[in-house]
Amino acid sequence: MYLLDTLVFMGIFALLSMSLNVEYGYTGLGNFGKVAFFMAGAYAYAVTAALGWPVYLSLVMAALIAGALGAVVSLPALRLREDYLAIVTLSFGEILRIFVKAEQWLAGGVWGKTVPSAFAGLGLSPKTMAWANVLLVWAILAGVFLFLHLLMNTPYGRVLRGIREDDVAVQVLGKSLVSYKAQALMVGSAIAGVAGGLFAQYIRFIDPYMFLPLVTFLVWVMLILGGPANHWGALIGALIVEFFNRGSRIVKDYIALPFDPHNVQFVLFGLLIIFLLLYRPYGLFREKPMRTGAEVEVSKWQSSP
Amino acid sequence: MAILAVENICKSFGGLQVLKGVTLEAEEGQITGLVGPNGSGKTTLLSTIFGLTKPDEGSVKFRGQTITGLPPHRVYEAGLAFSFQLPRLITQLTVLDNMILAARDQVGAGFSGALFLRRRWRRQETELAQKAMSILELLGLVHLALHPAGELSGGQRKLLEIGRALMSDPVMMLLDEPAAGVNPVLGRKIYQKLRTLRDQGLSFLIIEHKLEILLDFADRIYLMDFGQIVLSGAPKEVIENPVFYATYVGETKDAAFSS
Repeated sequence: MYLLDTLVFMGIFALLSMSLNVEYGYTGLGNFGKVAFFMAGAYAYAVTAALGWPVYLSLVMAALIAGALGAVVSLPALRLREDYLAIVTLSFGEILRIFVKAEQWLAGGVWGKTVPSAFAGLGLSPKTMAWANVLLVWAILAGVFLFLHLLMNTPYGRVLRGIREDDVAVQVLGKSLVSYKAQALMVGSAIAGVAGGLFAQYIRFIDPYMFLPLVTFLVWVMLILGGPANHWGALIGALIVEFFNRGSRIVKDYIALPFDPHNVQFVLFGLLIIFLLLYRPYGLFREKPMRTGAEVEVSKWQSSP
Repeated sequence: MAILAVENICKSFGGLQVLKGVTLEAEEGQITGLVGPNGSGKTTLLSTIFGLTKPDEGSVKFRGQTITGLPPHRVYEAGLAFSFQLPRLITQLTVLDNMILAARDQVGAGFSGALFLRRRWRRQETELAQKAMSILELLGLVHLALHPAGELSGGQRKLLEIGRALMSDPVMMLLDEPAAGVNPVLGRKIYQKLRTLRDQGLSFLIIEHKLEILLDFADRIYLMDFGQIVLSGAPKEVIENPVFYATYVGETKDAAFSS
């Protein structure tokens, strides 16, 4: 059961890590408010599911609400320089969390909100239910993975990658910066919203204290470790970090250590990131060259005499 | 009628007045050269025309349409292309991707187009790749097409920067020192290509310090000094004018062209 639980969380965090990959890995936008969109998705799911909406509609709603929030944040934020964007998004995350905490009418405020499970009333055993959750999360993860893989290997993905490297040059080449950046933030936020919806559905109770900035930082560790601008990197990074996160709790029970391994892991993550940035700044996986069909044409050209 | 008309452009950075009422015109189908000492405001003028810096005063008209203060991507849409003095390439992307990025009217460059018009943009990618390769062939970069642009040497980067501007099929090109950092033979080759394009109807506004090349190829030359146009005319007239030597070449005519 614990293993299945871990698998669900791995999937949810992999979604978050991939959503940050769209924003940071491909477009170069340092979004430090990831948790806000995760939270928006979770609450959107919680509220709509409580109204009796079916799972898929609630998830779509979670994506839409989070995506719309992404658009709202992008309006002021995208006119700012990179470092200020980080500050704005970070504070946005805290504002949203404190707002939800204070507004009891909205979703229970500080008391939190219970969420109906998607698989309730089917008479499933707890074990089957856990499996159903694993399948749901990983099926959506697979879909998102495929979607992003296709999207980033299009002329559209090329523009995003260009903006990451030199946004002035891309502007001069006729692409409107603001709309591309806003779209990237919306897509990333919508995916984070879906992750939030799945999270709410799975744990069946959410309160504002689950959405501290720590979640954002954990997602950043995953992406930096795995390798920005590589979907496999984002996925594997999330699996590794979540594995250690869970593993250290088990270790605690089996091996007597003079310290708590679960707390020590955060120190280790910090060290890992420092060494990684020093010796392997692009993470475990590197960005792959683009595949749009144009490169095939070039190979033909080059091989012909 | 002039294709590009710049009127009374002023621009200050803090207390430093870089452009003090620049007025110039570039004719359609001509190569207009812009020369002047370092710091005379040539590059600032070009980036102001392209919307990279906003002018304090004055207007820019392109094909009769006022483009003053428009953002760069709108200026690009109007039919202009810009090539930086110091290349600004997308270093992680391949040379090919850098080229295609510059192309106009790409079906798959928008979000929905990329998702729903897959077959159309795949076909377009093939065409654009062929077009990119024919330009790269001219620049001698064919063998590097699939390498990241960050691997190129300084001169090759410069060539790619120009190639990228060509890729966008502009009506007029603003080039900042296209022959700088390129060997003399290739420099001339670039200008010969530009002249061919001019004969096909393209217009150019070019900043260049390599006078021996520019004088051969330009149809009209403007001389800038301290943020103002001080002299203009056909290359022949300009080199006859003593002002040209006093402000720019720094010698008398005889000294400059002896040896």
